[in-house]
Amino acid sequence: MSVMEYNGGSVIAMVGKDCVAIASDLRLGNQALGITSNFQRVFPVTNRLYIGLPGLGTDVTTLRERFRYRVNMYTIKEERDIQPETFAHLVSSTLYEHRFGPYFIEPVIAGLSKAPSGGFKPFIAATDLIGCLNFAKDFVVAGTASAKLFGVAEGLWEPDLEPEDLFETISQTLLNAVDRDAFSGWGAVVHVITKDQVVTRTLKGRMD
Amino acid sequence: MFLTRSEYDRGVNTFSPEGRLFQVEYAIEAIKLGSTTVGVRTPEGVVLAVEKRVQSPLLESSSIEKIMEIDRHLGCAMSGLTADARTMIDHARVTAQNHAFTYDEPIKVESVTQAVCDLALRFGESVHDEGAMMSRPFGVALLIAGIDELGPQLYHTDPSGTFMRYDAKAIGSGSEAAQSELQSKWYKQMTLSAAQTLTLQVLKQVMEEKLDHHNVQLAQVTPQNGFEILDEVNLKEIIDAM
Amino acid sequence: MPDTTSLDHPAQRAFNPYTENGGTILAIAGADFSVIAGDTRQSEGYSIQTRYAPKVFQLTDRAVLAVNGFAADGNMFVKKVKQRLEWYRHAHSKDMPLRAIARLIQTMLYGRRFFPYYVYNILGGIEEDGTGAVYSFDPVGSYEREACRAAGAAQSLVQPFLDNQIYFKNQRPAHNTSHPVHLPLATVLSIVIDSFTGATERHIEVGDGLEIYVVLAKGRGLHGLEGVRGVQELTATDDGERVFVVRRELKKD
Repeated sequence: MSVMEYNGGSVIAMVGKDCVAIASDLRLGNQALGITSNFQRVFPVTNRLYIGLPGLGTDVTTLRERFRYRVNMYTIKEERDIQPETFAHLVSSTLYEHRFGPYFIEPVIAGLSKAPSGGFKPFIAATDLIGCLNFAKDFVVAGTASAKLFGVAEGLWEPDLEPEDLFETISQTLLNAVDRDAFSGWGAVVHVITKDQVVTRTLKGRMD
Repeated sequence: MFLTRSEYDRGVNTFSPEGRLFQVEYAIEAIKLGSTTVGVRTPEGVVLAVEKRVQSPLLESSSIEKIMEIDRHLGCAMSGLTADARTMIDHARVTAQNHAFTYDEPIKVESVTQAVCDLALRFGESVHDEGAMMSRPFGVALLIAGIDELGPQLYHTDPSGTFMRYDAKAIGSGSEAAQSELQSKWYKQMTLSAAQTLTLQVLKQVMEEKLDHHNVQLAQVTPQNGFEILDEVNLKEIIDAM
Repeated sequence: MPDTTSLDHPAQRAFNPYTENGGTILAIAGADFSVIAGDTRQSEGYSIQTRYAPKVFQLTDRAVLAVNGFAADGNMFVKKVKQRLEWYRHAHSKDMPLRAIARLIQTMLYGRRFFPYYVYNILGGIEEDGTGAVYSFDPVGSYEREACRAAGAAQSLVQPFLDNQIYFKNQRPAHNTSHPVHLPLATVLSIVIDSFTGATERHIEVGDGLEIYVVLAKGRGLHGLEGVRGVQELTATDDGERVFVVRRELKKD
């Protein structure tokens, strides 16, 4: 069986009107065996930038630490928060460094980037396990339930959703997709990022 | 009479010059020796009744079996060489079960009758280089009673493989008298209990012995209970009420 | 001189009798109607063989069968089912009821348990009691009556969407209300079209054309079908049930 399915788990990010959302399930398994239902794989990078790391559990931990280190170095040197676009490239090059012995992670990035006008622009991106970037304008998905996430998101998502509607859309998409995936589920967490705040909600889901 | 038949009454698959199959005709004759069997159809269900000839006081009358179940919704009464009927009813049962297995629905009364009649004409056939499976026609006639989406129905089959639907039908030794009695007594809106009484009255008229709950058997097919043979207690009540 | 060198080492040859021809099918049952749909793209690997190969077939005026998987097996299977329906008509002088067709299909599929028809079947139509029904099958005949089912290449994309939109999974009804058990035809049709446009967008084996069959119960009006663009009636008998087909274009890239 593929290493990408060894621990299970899925992440999705969506763009809304002046907001973005990123959500993940909470399962960590050992193949078919469920281990824990509170495994976090979505982490804040800055106040307006999050990253989700679906894939091999051990690499979630390693990459989170690597990205924390590199972002801290960036912040110290540049004396400013890293922008989502910049961070996406940092993620990409970090993964590509291991082109022939990769981390088994397909990161999903969601955040608000500073516009020249002073406002904020929604940003989402995803990469494959060797860092090939995908800057989608609507939604990105990754993990063992990615096919299901694509199907539901394609049906539910629409442009310019307000934060509350975006929350409902991403939650319904994630919940219904992971319910059809044996390797994902066991609860979910959703972060909705607006310019003023990040609202984090933990969702109850089917526990089977 | 014997002169005309002598050449052509042996082979089961040889027509006489007049276009007759004598063995089949003789088989139909055999039925006229059988005990009388009556069937009556009503809007509430179908009733079957047979005379059981208890030839000896030492004979267990309950061991005479002339009415048999084909499926939950199908019953069958016989007259003639009852041993032959076992083959036919076995075929009917298999057909009914196969239908339910393949289509998840009860087989129609006409379809099961057709299946039995298909078998009736298999005499004289042989399979490839094997010998013939059946060497002569069946010597039995059946009354097949049942209920399907078309309502309660009664079919009669004979050894020639012909089948016809009846409102009321009598077969066996007393059939001529019984049939004319049925013709004058049957009416369209008959209740099931009226039909029970009618079949017994008809049997009573043609039987040599005095009719009681030991020498007749009564069965019915109703939408509520499907096929059921009435037990002796029930039967006695009906006879006493006659 | 005969070639003897090839006899020195035994060579293994293999013939694979199956291919997978892509595409997706879907069916949804309403209270008194049934909708059965499929795309029309047929592919082998990354090549499109044809943009119009029907996967949905009208069997009777109350039964429609959708077949997905290995197209050659699918077409032969439909042919055999139709032949059995004709025989049944002759033997029993009536059209086979839907649940009987469902059981027949299971028997036919299981009959090939050890050399299966490589197809997923979805049967839709009207039961004898007038209710809309959907039966889904695996290639060896395991079957079940359901309210909705997707199968084929984009099953994993469409089924969770249907769970959400048809069964209202992960949704709670507003206070003092409840979810409808059956959806109206117009709603079902738009869910079907949305499902296929979504699947077409994200799955390379889905697209080109969409055929939606609609079976209406005896005595049911057209409501939900009137005003739908390009509806074509296919009803063959005057038994009461009516069959329609709606055709739509899907993206061809």
